[in-house]
Amino acid sequence: MTQPSWQSVFSIVLASARMRFLTITRYPGQLVLDTFIPIVFAAMPILLGRAGGGESAAEMFQRNTGTANYVGYLLIGSSVFTIVSFAFWHLAYWLRWEQESGTLEALYLAPVHRIWVAAGTALYSCGRGLFAALTAYFLGALILRFNPLQGELGLALLFILVGFIPLYGMTLLYGAVILKVKEANALVNLMQWGVSFLMGIFFPITIFPPLLKIIALLFPPTWMTNGVRSALLGIGFFLGEWYLDLAVLWGFMLIAPLFGYWVFNHVEINVRRNEGVGQF
Amino acid sequence: MLDNSKRAKVQEGLSIHWHTFWAMARKELTILSRYPIEFIASFGQVFLIVAIFTLAGLMFSDFRDPTASSAAPAQFSYSGVTVYGFILFMFLSDTLWSIGYNIRHEQIQGTLEQLYLSPANKFLNLIARVISILLWTGLASFVAALLMSSMIGHLPIKNPLLGLYILLVSLSGTFGIGFAFAALTIRIKEAAQTAANFLQFIFLILCANFFPFSALPPFLRFFSRLLPTAYCVDAFRSAMMGFPPGFPELAPFEIEFIIVTLFGIFMPIIGYRLYRASERYARQAGTLSGY
Repeated sequence: MTQPSWQSVFSIVLASARMRFLTITRYPGQLVLDTFIPIVFAAMPILLGRAGGGESAAEMFQRNTGTANYVGYLLIGSSVFTIVSFAFWHLAYWLRWEQESGTLEALYLAPVHRIWVAAGTALYSCGRGLFAALTAYFLGALILRFNPLQGELGLALLFILVGFIPLYGMTLLYGAVILKVKEANALVNLMQWGVSFLMGIFFPITIFPPLLKIIALLFPPTWMTNGVRSALLGIGFFLGEWYLDLAVLWGFMLIAPLFGYWVFNHVEINVRRNEGVGQF
Repeated sequence: MLDNSKRAKVQEGLSIHWHTFWAMARKELTILSRYPIEFIASFGQVFLIVAIFTLAGLMFSDFRDPTASSAAPAQFSYSGVTVYGFILFMFLSDTLWSIGYNIRHEQIQGTLEQLYLSPANKFLNLIARVISILLWTGLASFVAALLMSSMIGHLPIKNPLLGLYILLVSLSGTFGIGFAFAALTIRIKEAAQTAANFLQFIFLILCANFFPFSALPPFLRFFSRLLPTAYCVDAFRSAMMGFPPGFPELAPFEIEFIIVTLFGIFMPIIGYRLYRASERYARQAGTLSGY
């Protein structure tokens, strides 16, 4: 059988993404909610801090995190979390949805590799996640009254864009778990909170015990979050300079997708040899 | 006075309802027990939520130096405010999803129409879900309370009986919200997922589950005062914390007590009526199994 051309592959990726974008435009309420959830999420520790810390809230926060701008710090955390969380939700649910609707088996019989269909879902997820994170950040800044245009906006965006690839590489690992265990709901929920904890959504990972800190540093979203915060609020990069932190993310960019694909492939072969991918 | 035959009929009716309810509750519990990963994951999730918000709260304190006193010490117990608020939030959130949105699962699986063709009382299907929420969420709340109090400090338990009463009537009212949401789910179908998410976050802010009401801007506090669930949160944690200065925050406790009691009595009735109306509409319009 002849391999599909790059043009066909590109067309498959776009068609898969377009289908999902079309579906979400039918639920405009969900898009509005995507923007508001990170704001509400960040508002909770902000309000708790203001109520408990009083006038010294900013001072205390600076002592613990390196910036007195706690509103910006927490809002950046929840906005980046939206991107990370969407990546896991969309990829895992795509797989589970194909399983439940009985089309996953059919997808394996199609003349194109399913990785390109998954890439279309990832493209959709990137677009939706980025839209939600940016609108949440700017709207949140307007509501919670802080200047969103401070710091290096371009550098912050670069950290996000570079972080996308290792992030989606990691979702393949997660997809492998869904393929094997099948209980997507519970696992995605757990992963969502696990991810936010490890990436330091509302706190710096320096407060973690050494072992947990190492685990957090092996996790690309941690570098993404800190990179964005450092670029915008100047809290300090992990390795002192922005290009060193970015270099680590580039390293992840090479390793994470390959490793994720290898694990996914391995699990997939195993599942196909046993019960088959149509089981759910 | 009922004669013997009428009494026997009533008894038989009650017995049938009880057996139906128990069969439905057992079905929910069996499903629950068949997904151990979900069970374990939900506890892991509770632990992580607790850890995230606790650590976020600690960023506003001198936690690295236990001997230092904060320049502006809080006038309330952090653990009391967040733990008791979190317990009520967990019940509200689980109610919205398990009672309200689960109707959607029955629709998608194609079992809702069949359920309506059976001679069983349909409303018992909704109530049966309460049992699994009480068990599952109750256990998760207990674990969360233990975890949170171990992380942020001693949890005040000042008026346990009064607190228990407020918790029970609050849960009753919350289940009423669940029934009303189930009615909405039948009408709006897939959009119910968005609505559940939206409501969950609206309640989270307006009911101030993780912070005192005083932290809310005045215009939002106005909307909080329109929600009975906000009074539930305020009355429950104020009672459990032993009414520290400034608590309750929304209204005098006597008034909150009346509101919470009325909410616990009337909301399930209102929710039930809304559910029946929505169900009747769907049956007449032939949209019960449509999704």
